[in-house]
Amino acid sequence: MRTTKMKKAISNVRLFLAPILAVALLLTATAHAAAPGVKGTSFGLAASAAFISQPDGSLVYSWGYACSSGGTAAPFGPATGSACGGTMQIPGPTLIVTQGATVTVTLTNNLPAAAGNTSILFPGFDVTTSGGAAGLLTQEAAHGGTVSYTFTASTAGTHAYYSGTQGDLQVEMGLYGAIIVIPSAIPANCTSGLAASNLTAEGFWGETDFRLAAAAYNHPKACYDREYLFQFSEMDPRIHRQAEEQVVATAAFCATAGDTRCQLEVATEPYHPAYYLINGRSMPDDMDPNYAAEYPHQPYNGNPHMHPGEQVLLRIIGQGRWQHPFHEHGNHVRILARDGNLIVSQSDPVNSLGGPLLFTTTTTPGVAMDGIFYWTGRGLNWDPYGHKPASRDPLAKLPCTPDANGYNTGAPTAINYFEWCQDHNKPVQTAPFGDVADGGPVTLPDANIFTNGAWYGGSPYLGPNATLRATGCSAGAPAGSCGATGSTPPSGTIANPPASEAGFAFMWHSHNEREITTNNIFPGGMMMMMLVDSREFQIDETN
Amino acid sequence: MRKLSQVWLPTLLVCLATAVASAQSFRVQCPTTTVTHPTAADTEPAYVGPTYTGINGYGTTPAHVNGAIKCQQISGGDGYATMGDGTQTYMFSFGPLSGLADIANGQPGTEVPGVFNSVYGGTFAPGDPATSDGAGPGPNGPTKLSYNGAVGLMADTTGNTAAPSTGHVDPRPIEDVGVMNGNIPAPLMAIDEDDEFFLTLTNVGMIMRPDLFEQHTVHFHGYPNASAFYDGVPDASVAINIGGSFTYYYLAPDAGTYFWHCHITPPEHLQMGMVGQIYVRPRQNRVALGTSLYTALSTQQGDLRTKCDSNTDILCSNPLPLTNTGATQSTDALTGQPYKYAYNDGDGSTAYDVEYPIQIHGFDPNFHFVGMTFNPEGFVDMKDKYFLLNGRSYPDTVTPGPLATISADGAMHYSQPLPTIISIPAGGRALLRISDLDVTEFQTLASLGIPMQVIALNAKLLRDQAGNNLYYNTNSITLGGGESLDVILDTCAVRASMTSCTTPMATGTYYLYTPNLDHLSNDAENFGGLMTEVHVN
Repeated sequence: MRTTKMKKAISNVRLFLAPILAVALLLTATAHAAAPGVKGTSFGLAASAAFISQPDGSLVYSWGYACSSGGTAAPFGPATGSACGGTMQIPGPTLIVTQGATVTVTLTNNLPAAAGNTSILFPGFDVTTSGGAAGLLTQEAAHGGTVSYTFTASTAGTHAYYSGTQGDLQVEMGLYGAIIVIPSAIPANCTSGLAASNLTAEGFWGETDFRLAAAAYNHPKACYDREYLFQFSEMDPRIHRQAEEQVVATAAFCATAGDTRCQLEVATEPYHPAYYLINGRSMPDDMDPNYAAEYPHQPYNGNPHMHPGEQVLLRIIGQGRWQHPFHEHGNHVRILARDGNLIVSQSDPVNSLGGPLLFTTTTTPGVAMDGIFYWTGRGLNWDPYGHKPASRDPLAKLPCTPDANGYNTGAPTAINYFEWCQDHNKPVQTAPFGDVADGGPVTLPDANIFTNGAWYGGSPYLGPNATLRATGCSAGAPAGSCGATGSTPPSGTIANPPASEAGFAFMWHSHNEREITTNNIFPGGMMMMMLVDSREFQIDETN
Repeated sequence: MRKLSQVWLPTLLVCLATAVASAQSFRVQCPTTTVTHPTAADTEPAYVGPTYTGINGYGTTPAHVNGAIKCQQISGGDGYATMGDGTQTYMFSFGPLSGLADIANGQPGTEVPGVFNSVYGGTFAPGDPATSDGAGPGPNGPTKLSYNGAVGLMADTTGNTAAPSTGHVDPRPIEDVGVMNGNIPAPLMAIDEDDEFFLTLTNVGMIMRPDLFEQHTVHFHGYPNASAFYDGVPDASVAINIGGSFTYYYLAPDAGTYFWHCHITPPEHLQMGMVGQIYVRPRQNRVALGTSLYTALSTQQGDLRTKCDSNTDILCSNPLPLTNTGATQSTDALTGQPYKYAYNDGDGSTAYDVEYPIQIHGFDPNFHFVGMTFNPEGFVDMKDKYFLLNGRSYPDTVTPGPLATISADGAMHYSQPLPTIISIPAGGRALLRISDLDVTEFQTLASLGIPMQVIALNAKLLRDQAGNNLYYNTNSITLGGGESLDVILDTCAVRASMTSCTTPMATGTYYLYTPNLDHLSNDAENFGGLMTEVHVN
């Protein structure tokens, strides 16, 4: 019994976290991800120290790269200032370059003197160096000094860069980032047909195209409509604390050039991480906007949204030292490439892919992968839009005209664009309360025995129109019917409001479930919610 | 401990039963007919053609009715299991509330309506079916329980004698059977493509942890194009409170080895044991003898739902094989039954004679001990010390039949129903459906002597978009939590064809074990862990 109080403390943390999470999401409901970064051919990166913030309230001493010169914000940057704003960040600035270009990165070592030299590796590229001091793997920048790396961006796709000096400490401290290479040519089918039709739909609903390109590779199966970049890493706070303490303790020695006591002796083993990060943030911070003011050193988020049918490119990099089984709820991912190498069929390389289909895309240190995900609802065996031919609401009676593949793609301006037509009008509920089709297979229990999740859309259905109809809250519904079932619009759903979004939310997370915690607190760590939104909801990827 | 539970447990049970009875919120659902299955049928019809053809769909009459209705009921609660070193371990866990006899026999508890909707004539004892089977003292004597219907099903209070179709249940037998009756792994589920699956989760409460008002859910891991509502993530949907039932509804997804688990506070509930297995059998099993498998797969292209066109769908995994091998459906000489397949391969390359679901898991005894009390559980220091195949460590993995453990209610419970004895007729092929729900680290399983052929990853056939099979041979596989794959163990040394063996391997005992050598232990015992036997006979 002696520990009753402690259990209570944990529960309090859980309870405490929920409202914070709610408020955070409320404030930022329209901000989403993409793959922000800096575009150019010549970049200055400055390795420097700062404190990054974690959702348990801790500020962790870390090292990261700042974009010190060169590069333009592309396709978008922070609301104020520049994407190359000179602030140290984790992960480092995403460098966006074009295939075939000659890229130069000049590294300045602004780390504390005791940290010694630093350098950058660009795995997969043939690098020539200029300046600096000789190191084990490459030329290094001494404290206050610089070194330049030049290479040709020979292969398209997603790549990693990270420190090549004392990596067990420097990568752990945060010295890593991504390079995205845009293919030099885009296949014609990626800008015509369905790809063009998707752009029409986006334009109709006022959405801006934030893709870096229309294809990840110059291959007809590499087209995409939306993209997200996720970098996975862990943090052992004891390593960071030792580094911080020793930097302070050695400062006096470092004032004298050549004093051998000006160095760090940080134990990086045994390794015992307590923080599990995606793009340098833990859940729920990762779902706040890119460049959010509260995370000045963690500008990139993890907050994916998509509409049914959109081909979504996932760029995933393992940047820490552990593997993480990253599980995507909702569908499989077709692996396109590994470290920028497209995986194609041996017998038909020009037209056919050879990579596996995975529902768990394990991240591995030093490995970058590209994959395509989509969600359409095909095979649900019920109509997620809750269409009902006898409804008074014209939106409940929209047609679904199947294309050769069975999808409603001829109507890019309709809210049920890309609906799976085989299940059109097909009911799920036997005797629904609201204005949705009846005669289906299941009876929902009394809503009072449910607990609603923060991302529950308010009904089994997709989108505000269907949700409001299903819950007796649509225009013209009988007086008093809204909320009469006790569930709707559910008071608990604040992250996915029934009247404005009502998306299908799916958790994307590390399936080594211990890693969806932040320093012993659940929820946290390597977790985010992905939302499939009907076309009524505008996915806004600006900041 | 024993005394304490004798005093407290009945009190708790009475309180819970009272609350439940007044709320009337336990309920099962298993309709005998639906839109998709308009006529009541308890058998799978042969697959002769697509359900819908062309671009047709709901509203038009199906060209063929495929698949059947399948139902299952499970409890969400707690229980005890016995580790390989004899340690009794507390779990949060799911237990069977349908298919009791089948589960005790190592089979799936998934039933057709005719079985699921049958009302039990006797009286359940706490601990059933173990109690009735004679594993402990009980009122029914040592008569093996043979009932496979939904526990609790009864005529409703309106006097409706057609009660089973209304799903009305009496909460008392549900609590009698469901409390402290959790299994590791959770009840096995198996369905066929084109089936409609009704899974009812009944939250019976966790008697040992009355401080936790825990909801439970079922996440069908890996289901393509899932709806958020039935995905079982409490943050994205609804979660079911204690004293309530929720019925998950799915049309079976593409064939493959999936798995399922609770999604409430996953690092806690998964470590504590709320993990189970589900697999989907392919349409190809149901084609008539003599039918060309290539033609049968071509037929599936006629329904847009079951079609796989790599030019328009980047996520389809079983396009027609590059070449027609001429394989036809035939009778398996080793089993006397029509051949079974892991996937709709169109070339017979995933044929097997016997199949075994194997789930890998790990228990941290410290976390489980702490989880039985009112302590907070730390996550950073979680360290598994028991390494489990289907909820057991070696040598328990090769003990036939269900393992019973006495729980805090004083009754024996079949909490570990699944042995992992891989028994293969010499010259035959065994399909291992392997999944991993460890929550802390990656695990490797190796085969000594019999090569492993990996035919599928994450419930998808290993085949490129052009139709080339990308199967590979290996002697070990490595999985992280949340991954699955399919392995064929072929005990034929010289194979003439997929269906005939020239020279079988020698009969005898072979081993599956982990080369993570520190996982070959049962906590302090330096022997056991992630290991089992393969019997070629």
